[in-house]
Amino acid sequence: MSAHAASDSGHDHHDDHGDHHNPGWIKKYVFSTDHKTIGIQYGITAMLFLAFGFYLMMVMRWSIAYPHQPLPEWMSFLFTDTWKARWLQDGKVTGETYNMFGAMHGTIMVFLGIVPLGFGAFGNYITPLQIGAVDMAFPKLNMVSYWVYFLGGVTMCASFFMESGAAKSGWTNYSPLAGFADGQIVNQWMAGQTQWLLGLVLLITSSLLGSVNFITTIINLRARGMTWMRLPFFVWAMLVTGFLLLLAFPPLEAAGIMQLMDRVGHSSFFMPSGLFTKTEGLADLSGGGSPLLFQHLFWFLGHPEVYVLLLPAIACVAEIIPVNTRKPLWGYKSMVYSVLILGFLSFIVWAHHMYMTGMGAGVSTFFQTTTVLISIPSVIIITAMLISLWGGSIRFTVPMLWACAFIPMFGIGGLTGLPLAFNLVGLHLHDTYYVIGHFHYVVAPGILFGLFAGVYHWYPKITGRYMNNILGHLHFWPSLVCMNIIFFPMLIQGMSGFHRRWYNGGDAYLEKAADGSNVFGQIVRESIDLNIVMSMGAWALAIAQIPFIINVLLAWKAGRKVESDNPWGGTTLEWSTPTPPGHGNFTYDVAVYRGPYEYSRPDCDKDYFPQWEAPKKRTEEPVIASTKDKEETL
Amino acid sequence: MEIPYIVTPRKDTGLINSKIAIWLFLASEVMLFGGFFSAYVYLRMGADYPWPERTLPVLPGLINTFVLIGSSVTVVFAWVALKMREWRKFQIYMGITVACAALFMVLKGVEYNVKLHHQAVRLDDYSVIEGHLGYELKEGADKHHPNPDDYEKNHNGHKIEENMIRVKSEKLTFSVNRFYKSWVEEILSEAKHQNVTYILEEDVEAFTKPASSKSEKRQPKILAKKGTELSVELLQSLKKEYLKARAHNGVIRTEALRSEWVIAKKENPGKRGWEVATGVNIDMDAIGHELLTEVASATFVAEGGAELLFKPRNIQEGETSSRLRDDTVITGKLEESPMVFHNVDAIDFQWLVMKAEEKGISPESAIENSWLMKSNKFVRDAWAWHLKRNESRQKELNDRYGFEEGKNGKETDIPKRVLTHKELYRMGWKDFAKMGEETKNVSVGGVDAFKEEFLGPNYKARGEETFPHLSIPREEIRHAAKFSPAWNTYYAIYFTITGLHGLHVIGGALVLAYYLLFGRKMYLENPEWLTNRVEVGGLFWHFVDLIWIFAFPILYLM
Repeated sequence: MSAHAASDSGHDHHDDHGDHHNPGWIKKYVFSTDHKTIGIQYGITAMLFLAFGFYLMMVMRWSIAYPHQPLPEWMSFLFTDTWKARWLQDGKVTGETYNMFGAMHGTIMVFLGIVPLGFGAFGNYITPLQIGAVDMAFPKLNMVSYWVYFLGGVTMCASFFMESGAAKSGWTNYSPLAGFADGQIVNQWMAGQTQWLLGLVLLITSSLLGSVNFITTIINLRARGMTWMRLPFFVWAMLVTGFLLLLAFPPLEAAGIMQLMDRVGHSSFFMPSGLFTKTEGLADLSGGGSPLLFQHLFWFLGHPEVYVLLLPAIACVAEIIPVNTRKPLWGYKSMVYSVLILGFLSFIVWAHHMYMTGMGAGVSTFFQTTTVLISIPSVIIITAMLISLWGGSIRFTVPMLWACAFIPMFGIGGLTGLPLAFNLVGLHLHDTYYVIGHFHYVVAPGILFGLFAGVYHWYPKITGRYMNNILGHLHFWPSLVCMNIIFFPMLIQGMSGFHRRWYNGGDAYLEKAADGSNVFGQIVRESIDLNIVMSMGAWALAIAQIPFIINVLLAWKAGRKVESDNPWGGTTLEWSTPTPPGHGNFTYDVAVYRGPYEYSRPDCDKDYFPQWEAPKKRTEEPVIASTKDKEETL
Repeated sequence: MEIPYIVTPRKDTGLINSKIAIWLFLASEVMLFGGFFSAYVYLRMGADYPWPERTLPVLPGLINTFVLIGSSVTVVFAWVALKMREWRKFQIYMGITVACAALFMVLKGVEYNVKLHHQAVRLDDYSVIEGHLGYELKEGADKHHPNPDDYEKNHNGHKIEENMIRVKSEKLTFSVNRFYKSWVEEILSEAKHQNVTYILEEDVEAFTKPASSKSEKRQPKILAKKGTELSVELLQSLKKEYLKARAHNGVIRTEALRSEWVIAKKENPGKRGWEVATGVNIDMDAIGHELLTEVASATFVAEGGAELLFKPRNIQEGETSSRLRDDTVITGKLEESPMVFHNVDAIDFQWLVMKAEEKGISPESAIENSWLMKSNKFVRDAWAWHLKRNESRQKELNDRYGFEEGKNGKETDIPKRVLTHKELYRMGWKDFAKMGEETKNVSVGGVDAFKEEFLGPNYKARGEETFPHLSIPREEIRHAAKFSPAWNTYYAIYFTITGLHGLHVIGGALVLAYYLLFGRKMYLENPEWLTNRVEVGGLFWHFVDLIWIFAFPILYLM
């Protein structure tokens, strides 16, 4: 940092009193270059976006469960009257508004919520601590990365208040639909659909800066003795995530730029010849483009993106399980190799999202094969975590509860994905609620639970105080139940053919259900009541998050103080720092002597042997498989 | 706190941080441009129109290639100079590098400028015409050699390109909510230019306050009086009233619907919402007196009307009534609005032939029957010249390569080489120029000929004898654009790849220029650090060069 400090003081002489050891409030909390502050900024922003995305979902679920009924007041108080007059019809959610909320729900949850929370927040805060680094390799870049992300999010969400409204062509933004949406707006730069693209370009820039920073940090800033196979699994997962972001996002950026050209430059990258729309008639375009090209470019990101979401959650869970079972992570090495293979394979499965496009049987078969292949490393990881529980003396702390729930919930999500991998089944289930159920099982009770586990686990390190246990239980158990109430019926509805984009929950098909000739109407009739069950579950889930919000806020100042710097008895380096860690993180010269999960070693007096503790006497050290030869390399 | 490995490499990896970072960044860039190059392949493979091959002038691109390669060499020299601690040399080499970048961008700019002023049009029968549009002339002006004062000008004093839709606008109906401010301003100043005033057709009346009870008689308020002049402020005030009324009504209606639902649920216990939904309606009679009037549009008239011009993209024209993209309805006669080429420099029947062959029509008869051939004598003559020339070109090929051998070892009459589609069915500007030289003795030489390699045909020197005048009625036009991304997917990907590459050149050059201009201090304090930075910048510069090495052949040569 001396270099930065030197150049800083060179530039602003008037600011001499605010040197980098004692920066002003703005530099410390707003434009901070400290990875921990940035991590917290990411975390708070991401959670606010998650809450917003959740709210959008509630409005959608109202429209699905109670079609034709005006939004209740408790759900629409956020809007102004003018806004409501524009987007609600007599208080009812219109199809257009539903589409807008649906597109933005997906976008916000994926790009502005989960990724920044998992990779941005946990990755930023924990990674440098776990590898024994003073900070990220490029602290200023790290700050820029956060602010560009923030700007991207604001850009996207600001479009809610424009004349055009926000983007409404699904979070996948498929052309030609997305190319035409908001076409009536004269100044295309001020259309929600364009703003979405601009926001996306900013988010991709942010994640590019972030991932370059992460990978460089992990490669070059590891502490003495922190060899590759001594890296905590968390760091491995972050490394792979970094590579996925680095390499998978740019093709989407290319697609985004091309779609931007289609919108503001009137090109036809994704516009086929002879396109005819109701509003514009025969499109005044050159044509000759390919809608399928957009899908390829989108899903080239889209699938690795799933693992960008997933890996940070798995990373958190993999850290929490050994701490709370007091035994090593089972199969650490196979987990590491699995995650590497997973990262590689995730680049060659993308077109399984596109079975319906008619891209050809040969292509479909290839992607079907790779998709089935990719389940192997994921199953290895999950199985290793499951076996890690075996024979441990499990401490069911609140983070451990979340971690334990993660495994079966993610299991359901993963296993329901297998049928979708198969071309034949995929054709039937495509765009039904089964798909929605599947990926929400992965993301909501899966990934989010893993991230909640992380919040409860590292909160004592971040603040020096525990989160409240009772509130934690009040958060966990209802969440677990509600998640299943919401998402399990989706699988049932999906298999009976409920389409994911019905904004009225399918009531349009009911009309003739009684006369017997409308078979589909009867099928819909059988499962439509589940809509109400699911929506009730959603309201209850919202209530279940209140204890969490209270807990996070209250415990910051009023929580029980931690007794030591290592309250859970962890072995990884973050537990050797002061609580909370100061600028520069470590107060001693960091050296690493052994692997990350040395729990319950018979030769130790404690039930854990931290990475940073020097061995007492070499002669007393028995040769253990995972640590042999390691001391010599130091 | 100090971040390690900024200047000295870490022992086991052998790398400084920034070098890892730049390689990662470049990997990401490879994926970005990989996306565009894949898109190029995908679009070209799937193109349902004749892909323009070798359509760009090669010379400027070639010069740019060498300029960029040269700068990649000098940036290495600059780095070496720093390594050897020779500041002066560093300055020279880095200076050359940045200058090369500037030269590259200037050439690029010239190329873009030429493209963006070149008009192309696809007719209804898929024949394509390229050239330069003219500007509207005043009546009686010399069409061939106009003076600057002979041009018609709009209210801004700009010349008017002959590609506008003209509407004698007697009546304008604005959507109060959606009108686009700067369009209204344009209409206003154009009308003023023509001494026409648009005035409100009728009083705009509205209930702006709810009545306290059903029996109360409300007096409508006059928001704007009949005869008020059109102004942006007026429309804005109407918009304000409209939004106010709409918001107010929304609240009333929502409340009414909510209470209807409460009643419906009470009356139908146990029934699902969707079962009773059709019976739940707002009782308009009960709330009518509380609602305000939503005045959604305002109509303005002008005696005689002004002749307004619109870009084709902004208007859906009709004989008597047209609509702008901001929902403004224009009532008035559509005037003849042909697209006028002052200089045609290419006629292209490739697409027409492709379409004809799909239908099983012979190319010759399709061309014979095209609108262009039927309506324009110049084109007929030119095409006759072209056919003759093709005949001799084919003969040349036959003489050179001979004919295919038949089964019996004898020569058949199938030539080994035939003219390409492009040679057969397209007359480009060089063909026009050649025709002019041969038949009309118009030729240019020396500097002008060299300039043509960069800027395209020289209309002034070759004149209308070579590049004729052509007026195309609006109804014959299927699609028209400049040589811009809107013209076809080839130009779209060309502009996107080269544009993005250009941004990279600018970005890289700015960074290198920063080292050049502001690196001295760092050089004195920590020369190795600056050297590292230049090395990293140089790596990026090589990458920028590499992209061009890929972009040049696929866009210019293939």
